[in-house]
This record gives sequence, structure tokens and C-alpha cells, in this order.
Amino acid sequence: MSTGRTIGWSVLAVVLLVPAWFLGYHFTNFIGDPVEVVGALPAFLTSGDTWVNVGISVARVFGGLLAGVVLGTAMAFAINRQGLLKETLTPYVTLALRTPSAIAAIVSLSIFHGSEIGYVAVVAYVTFPYVTTGLLDGLRSADRELDQMAQIYHLSTWAHMRHVLGPFIAPYMFAALRNAHALAWKIIVVVEIFGAATEGFGIQFSYAWEYFRILEVHLWLLLFMAVVLFAEYCVLRPAERRVFRWRDAR
Amino acid sequence: MSDIVIRVDDLSVSYGNVPAISNLAFNVRRGEIVCVVGPSGCGKSTMLNVLSGLLPPTHGSVSVNDQVLYRSGQPLPRLGYVFQTHRLLPWRTVRQNLELVLAAAGIPKAEWDGRIRSLLDVLQISRFIDSWPMRLSGGQRLRASIARALVIEPSYILMDEPFSTLDEVTARTMRHELSSIVARTRSTVIFVTHSIREAVFLADRLIILTRSPARVFEEKVVDIERPRLYEDSRIGQIEAEVVERVLDAWGLDDRKRAEAA
Repeated sequence: MSTGRTIGWSVLAVVLLVPAWFLGYHFTNFIGDPVEVVGALPAFLTSGDTWVNVGISVARVFGGLLAGVVLGTAMAFAINRQGLLKETLTPYVTLALRTPSAIAAIVSLSIFHGSEIGYVAVVAYVTFPYVTTGLLDGLRSADRELDQMAQIYHLSTWAHMRHVLGPFIAPYMFAALRNAHALAWKIIVVVEIFGAATEGFGIQFSYAWEYFRILEVHLWLLLFMAVVLFAEYCVLRPAERRVFRWRDAR
Repeated sequence: MSDIVIRVDDLSVSYGNVPAISNLAFNVRRGEIVCVVGPSGCGKSTMLNVLSGLLPPTHGSVSVNDQVLYRSGQPLPRLGYVFQTHRLLPWRTVRQNLELVLAAAGIPKAEWDGRIRSLLDVLQISRFIDSWPMRLSGGQRLRASIARALVIEPSYILMDEPFSTLDEVTARTMRHELSSIVARTRSTVIFVTHSIREAVFLADRLIILTRSPARVFEEKVVDIERPRLYEDSRIGQIEAEVVERVLDAWGLDDRKRAEAA
């Protein structure tokens, strides 16, 4: 299917939510009037406060995700070496995978006294095991024939990592990154609420809900969806297409 | 520098208590194509692993240009390798695949483009210089793989049944081309194959191995002028002679008896 048609179907899927929204508005008392929400959007989007809150949440997600990817990658390489490191690090990955996000949020915020590091740390903690397990799958299925070729032609460790191993595990990395990215957005909202942050998506959404400001709830919700979809369709997917452009040649 | 590029001396390799190669000895001269034939599982792959610097011998030695391999502090020799499958990096273009080995071999960057273009011209794939390997046919990938082996001007090239996955027509074309390219570049080649006819067509000299553990059963100079024709009756005659001699040595005497009956 061409890129244009793919985008067309995706847009149509989102547009189909509009009639559902109208129905929801008519039959419930907690879904706002779509016309009113759309009418309020320009003022909301041109307000400096809105973008400060968005920026803070995005920075927390980005920082946490970056730390999660670095830690997860290091853990994957360490565990893949077998031996003592594998035995000692694997339980940490399992523990992190099984820890409920709310508990991770409370513990992290307590340790860091609600500072910015706490928000970043909890995103990193929740996302790193997904990166580790995803990358481990890639490392374990690495192409031994290409490794042997690299050895015979005396490729340096860096050249081997960059040109042989890296591209081979890239699909695993992207799959892990997309999972971690989705998870990071889910967790940041929870953490901002638990941490009683003064700024950020989560806390603004929480305030609006607490005081039953339905219009604001909808505005924050719409913006949240737009930011997440922007990150997915305008950052992750184009990056993925560029990295895997050689596959289209098949 | 002596005329001998590779000297294999009393080479033995064992996996645990199981010997794969036993007292193997032969030399390869500069510019020579030596074809190694042997029955399946006789230890040819083990021999290639030793010659390519991947597997140290249990006993004996391998010298390249009078330098003993696997001696500590000894730099590994610059070699080219054409594998059974192309082993090109699918995420790098043909040019990038070649540049990668040029960089690893320490060839000055200023020489890269000239070397790559002239080799791809010779191998008739210059129009695919910026193509992804997955876009090429099996024969074109093999040509790119041969270009990768030649571009670094190696001390020697190892070829491990490179034509075994090609259809017969493409394989015949490739054998002709390989023969002329090697003659033009004066490369030293060790070519491992199952096909005795292919070996006779390509080789200046045949090394016939025994069943496992491998040792040299016989060496035979192929005294047919080049360029050769694959259909040349003399090639068929030498092939028949070799087959006749190896039937017993390779443990195929039952078949011989059945054929004779």
C-alpha cells in the first residue's frame, strides 16, 4: 500500500472518532460538547502555559527514555556475555518488569524527594527492562556468518558494532523503543499525579478532572493524543523507514 | 620473498579427541589457483578456518609469506574470502560493502574509488555500485563478493564452494570469468569444491584429500593451457581419472563395484 493511502486510512480511523464523540456527548454527562472544545482549542494552543506544561512532560519522557535505552542496552550486552553478569543482572530485569508502575513511581519520588530526577528515574526504571529483553533477543539471534566475515576481514570492534551488529539488532531496538516510548507516556502521567508535580500534562489533567472542568479535560486529552501521535508518526516511524530503507529494495 | 605464499606443514587439528585434519602438508605458489577436493565431512571447512586465521592448529603450522600464523604478536595476513553464500551486508550498498573492507585493510581513502570502480568494471557490475545487495541477482551478489575479496589486493584468496548455489549456466559463466580475472590480477587462490570437473577446469594444481581426518591423498598438476573450455575433452578425461582413483580412497568402492557389475 502506498504511503499516501496508508496515511489516508489512519486519518480516517481518527476522524471516525468524531461521530462517536458526538454520541457520547448526547448520552453522558462527562463528555464535553465537541463544538465547544474545538472552539476553545485556538486559545488553549496559543497559551504559553500550555506549551510549558507540554515541554516539561516531553523533557521528562525524553530524559527517562534516553536513560532507559542506555541502561537497557548496557544490561543486554552484559547479560549476553553469560557468566556471572548474566546470573547477577537477570533478576534485576525480571524485578523491574514485574514492578507495578504506581509502586515504582511512589518509591522513586520518595527517594528523590519529588525532584526532577525522580520523574526521569521512574520512566527509566519502567522502560529499561523492555529494552533489555528486546535487545537480548536480537543479540542471541545475531548472524554468526556475518560475524565470521567481519573477523576474516579484520573489522575493528567499532566497525563491527556499527556496520554488522548494530544494523542487525536495529529491528529489535526499534520494537523495544516503540514499546518503551508508549510505556513512558503512560507512566509519566501517573508519576506527575503521584508526585504532586506543579507542572506537566498529568497534573494539569488531574487538576481539571478534580474540579470537573470538563472542557479543560478534553483539551489536555486532545493535546496529549496529538503529541503522542506526533512522536510516533513524525519521529519514530520516519526514523525507522530511514534505517530500514534497504529492505524496500527486496 | 620466496615464491611460496602459503606453506602448510604437518598440520593437525582435533576437536577434543576427534581428529579433523591429520598431518596435512602442501604449498601454494604466488599466482597459482589450487583447487582442494575431498569427500563431504573430510575436514575442508576446518582447513579453511585454519588458513583464514580463525582456528589455531592443534599441531603443525601454517605460514603466509614466510610468517607463521597464530604466533603471538604476528599480524594477521590480509586475505580475501569468497563464501558459499555472499555474506554481503544487506544494509550497506555494494560500494559501502567494499569500502568497509578497504578501511579495515588500512588502504588510503584516496585509492578507494579507483579500486572499486575498476574492479566492478571488470566484474561487469559497475552499474550496481550504489545498489543494495538484496536488489541484485545471485550471480551479481557473487560478483560483488568476489570484488570484496579482490579489492584489498590480498596475499591470497580463499573460496569455499562459491558457485554451489548458482544455476549451472550462471556457474559456468562465473567459472570462466573467475579464471580470467585471477589470471589478470595474478591472485593466489585456494578454491575448495565438491565438483571435480569444476576443480579441473579452474586449477593449476589439484589437491585431493582423503576421508576424515584429512591429509593429502594426491596432488595433480592440470597441464591444460588457458583460456580453457568447460566442455574440453581433456578436462573430462582428467575428471574421469581422478574419480577413478578416489573411489576407493573416499570409501565409495561399493558404488564402483555396482557400476562395474
